[in-house]
Amino acid sequence: MPDPRLAAAPPPEERRRALRSALATLVPGWQPLAQDVLGADARIDWVGRDGEGRCVIALVGRAGHDLALIAEGLAQRDWVAARVSDWAQLAPQAGLRPGADVVTVLLAPQFRPSAVAAARAAAGPALRLAVLRFIENGTGVAPLIEPVANPRDPAALDRWDSAGFRSGLSAADLDLTPEEHAELEDRNEI
Amino acid sequence: MPRDLDDVLHFFLPVADRSDGAAWVAEPPREQRAVALPILTIPVASRDVVRAAFAWNLTVELARLGARAALIAPGDASTAPLWPEPGRGPLGAEVVYAPVRDIAALGHAAFDAAVTGAADAPEGGVVVVCVPPEWLMRGGPVRPMLRWVLLLATPETADLREVYALAKLAYRRGSDPLVGVVIHGVRRLRDAERAFAHVAGVAARHIGRSPLSYGLLADDLHVYRAIASRRPIGLEHPQSRAARALRDVARMLWDDAQKMALA
Repeated sequence: MPDPRLAAAPPPEERRRALRSALATLVPGWQPLAQDVLGADARIDWVGRDGEGRCVIALVGRAGHDLALIAEGLAQRDWVAARVSDWAQLAPQAGLRPGADVVTVLLAPQFRPSAVAAARAAAGPALRLAVLRFIENGTGVAPLIEPVANPRDPAALDRWDSAGFRSGLSAADLDLTPEEHAELEDRNEI
Repeated sequence: MPRDLDDVLHFFLPVADRSDGAAWVAEPPREQRAVALPILTIPVASRDVVRAAFAWNLTVELARLGARAALIAPGDASTAPLWPEPGRGPLGAEVVYAPVRDIAALGHAAFDAAVTGAADAPEGGVVVVCVPPEWLMRGGPVRPMLRWVLLLATPETADLREVYALAKLAYRRGSDPLVGVVIHGVRRLRDAERAFAHVAGVAARHIGRSPLSYGLLADDLHVYRAIASRRPIGLEHPQSRAARALRDVARMLWDDAQKMALA
């Protein structure tokens, strides 16, 4: 077997194909519905739904454009949220739940602390950030996805559907007291 | 991150040469051997390929150090294509997928492996059990699984929070457990030290006990290569930073396993 190595991001078409099933690692119950959707002045890589019928959009950003990706994700989320009810009526078999929050998944080769801070500060449902790399192993290019936690608040972690913790646990599972939670959050001690 | 002088003493003491292959240390009489190998519990979620890769690579490194090393995980290999194939692998490290659906059954499987391993391995060994964290949190207490726990975390706040919660659970439900933490995903030693100190400090204040540091693991390109190729880092890239860090952590684990066997 050839030595696998980190590969450059493949062309958009190939990248979307690779992400089609890989997004299931981030979104429980992921069902892809449409790819390369023209949204708010730009393309959305994937539109789908999660196991609870929420509309999910996934956007892939380029290295060094993580802050722009956050802004684009917010704009696309707003654009999609205004249309989910229409889509649910037009295509009831898609299983979209009208009125539910739009889940926004943003993938990039790297998220700088400023981008993570911007995502945490954004109003509305928490943005799900994940580092996306590709590995070439001789038979093709496979995506490696690692979620970036968004510990904006415990409620946001609950909405993350356990993807906020790599362990798969929810904030409620951890059963921390408010004091423990506050101390662990306090990064000034680190 | 050495914990005390014992952890680094071996660097300064002469090491006996065993290259002649002679059995210069008599095999301990069967009645003096431990009844069961120590069970090391590592919480690993089903989709957490990085922690899974570290658990398996640590098992291989334990085997390299002379331990009878087996890794037990629930399910079968077909559900997790990034896990290695079951059976004996590099350096004799064994991977077993136990067809179990709860922590009690996984505990039985681990204990069986520990007893069988102790009978067959006069040199001692370690049974590494990868447990879905939700089984630990939501399942009933299985004390053999909470005697020795290794928690892997990056310095991310979410990771530290879950590591703290799992340590708290082990201390509350276990019987005087040994809980260790390994920090990974850091570029500098200082980052790992500060992350560990943060968790240890909060634990000391709220639980009254602190986990031990088992050092740090390096996340570099070799780790991802090892995950993708299902080949151990220590064999593929023995001189890499990741491989050297794995060896250091495995050495500390093996030292503690031997102390447990003596105890």
